[in-house]
Amino acid sequence: MKPRTALLLLLPALAINLVAFLAPMANLASYAFHGVSPSGAILPGLSLGTWAALFDDSFYAELILTSVLTSLGVTALTLLLAYPLALFVHRAGPRTKNLLMVACLSPLLISAVVRTYGWLVILGDHGVIYSVMHALGVEHPPKMVFNQTGVIIGLVQILMPYMILSLLAGFGRLDPAFEEAAASLGAPPWTVLRRVVLPLSLPGILLGFLLVFVLTVSSFITPKLLGGGRVFLLATEIYDQAIVTLNWPLAAALSLVTLAIFGVTLGLYGRLARAMEQA
Amino acid sequence: MPHLTLSALEKRYGAAAPAVASLNLKVAKGELLGLLGPSGCGKTTTLRMIGGLIPVTSGQIDVAGRDVTALPTHQRDMGIVFQNYALFPHMTVAENIAFGLEMRRTPRAEIKPRVQQALDLVRLPDLGHRKPRELSGGQQRRIALARALVIRPSILLLDEPLSNLDAKLREDMRTEIRDIQQRLGITTIFVTHDQVEALAMCDRIAVMRAGHLEQLGTPHEIYEQPATRFVADFVGRANQIAATRDADGTIRAGALVFRGPPGPPGQVTALIRPHRLGFAPAEGGNTAAGIITRVTYVGDLLACTVDCGGVSLTVEQPTLPGLPTPAVRDQVRISWRIEDTLVFPAE
Repeated sequence: MKPRTALLLLLPALAINLVAFLAPMANLASYAFHGVSPSGAILPGLSLGTWAALFDDSFYAELILTSVLTSLGVTALTLLLAYPLALFVHRAGPRTKNLLMVACLSPLLISAVVRTYGWLVILGDHGVIYSVMHALGVEHPPKMVFNQTGVIIGLVQILMPYMILSLLAGFGRLDPAFEEAAASLGAPPWTVLRRVVLPLSLPGILLGFLLVFVLTVSSFITPKLLGGGRVFLLATEIYDQAIVTLNWPLAAALSLVTLAIFGVTLGLYGRLARAMEQA
Repeated sequence: MPHLTLSALEKRYGAAAPAVASLNLKVAKGELLGLLGPSGCGKTTTLRMIGGLIPVTSGQIDVAGRDVTALPTHQRDMGIVFQNYALFPHMTVAENIAFGLEMRRTPRAEIKPRVQQALDLVRLPDLGHRKPRELSGGQQRRIALARALVIRPSILLLDEPLSNLDAKLREDMRTEIRDIQQRLGITTIFVTHDQVEALAMCDRIAVMRAGHLEQLGTPHEIYEQPATRFVADFVGRANQIAATRDADGTIRAGALVFRGPPGPPGQVTALIRPHRLGFAPAEGGNTAAGIITRVTYVGDLLACTVDCGGVSLTVEQPTLPGLPTPAVRDQVRISWRIEDTLVFPAE
């Protein structure tokens, strides 16, 4: 194909991206550098007031740190739960494999909102888990909803399909013959896992980590509902600032911070992925 | 005492016919035994049971007098060379070879020289720092062999170690594996579907068919005295003639009449190796008149298809200078020794 034809074919996508992505992003960035009146009106004239407030108030530093740490925790937990599952699916015969894939991905057919409400019912004060623990004689079962625990449980379950998909996509180099070879050379099962299976599945782990981390940081409905307004994360705070407090500049500034976090994550991912390819 | 003993070894998958059925084998120390047969005959299944890669359904495996049937692979002390090499792609060649030594807690100072020894053994002394994907198929094959040998296993298991190699390399590797095996005196089980490979390399060959042991013998026995028609047909080439045998051992196939070993009369299949047929008269042997219908020249051999009274026989002759070259439509007499006629009951 001639370069000109190629350019021509790229134009529609380029136009859509310009109008629907780049322009709003520019707009968002400009909000962050304007002041705001108590009524929510954006004031004319550039100002760094929002950023000053953001850096002054330790609440925001803490918010960003909590968000990143919670997301890392959720991602790690998802990985821990999804890894054995993905390994099992990867090793299954072709027919079983298809069936297991459908089973793993079917939660995606139900909206995250519905699933979150499901968790509210299960984890709630008169939910299944509470009742069972109570019946077993636990006087005061731990609260599992409207706090960090609830948010983490909900997010892990909702994001697991993405992790499983990424892991499976990255398991390409994992041939059972490698495990057999390692065993024949005298490696017990745990050593096989540590020295052969884990290193060979690193591309999948990395991909899953990136995807689930980004999805956790930007997830909003689950933390909002399961956090019950008591768990403060970047996405929920942006929503509150934009919709409740009507402080669009602050919401925009926090959005840019989130974007920066994604940028750093992607950069790290790229570097690690490249290092792995050369290894 | 045999080094490796398989007793009534059996592998079943569900209700289907067993993949391996009541297999009994004794392998002496330092012997190279070939498991030969077409795909699906159970040879690889047998190898995998010996290596502990799949559980046995019933039966027993003994190594040096010890029952290892229930031992997991990593405690069996066997070196396995896999059909697809299975070199760890994330490790260098040297790391691959060192892996088994590390698992055996060999002191660091000893690992390095032993890895180098193993590399020297397979004549690739300078490739230690490379990654497996940077090597050719033949080189990967040798590294896989070095990795299996460096741990000085009690038994070496080779699963089709020469498949996917080009013909020339195959022949080189054949001699090389045999040399190394002899030098180290290591008991070896060698799975192959290639009869030439089996004949050339093995001390003894176990020919398998549909999970059963068809014949066990030296290459010479397998080739010259095949126990069944299957073995005669699978090992080496043969003219097959559907015929009837009279009580006196006379064999008739249409207009073609010849003698074979005596046996019960009835429907039989006679097999004659193409290179045991000749155009020079054999004293006291069988002769038949025929017309050449096709001549194929393959360099070292000349294959002539001869129509003998409706029976088509292939005659293979070495190409020698000075010998008259037969041509299509030539009238010829072919002859062969009576003992070169192998006769089996028709199936």
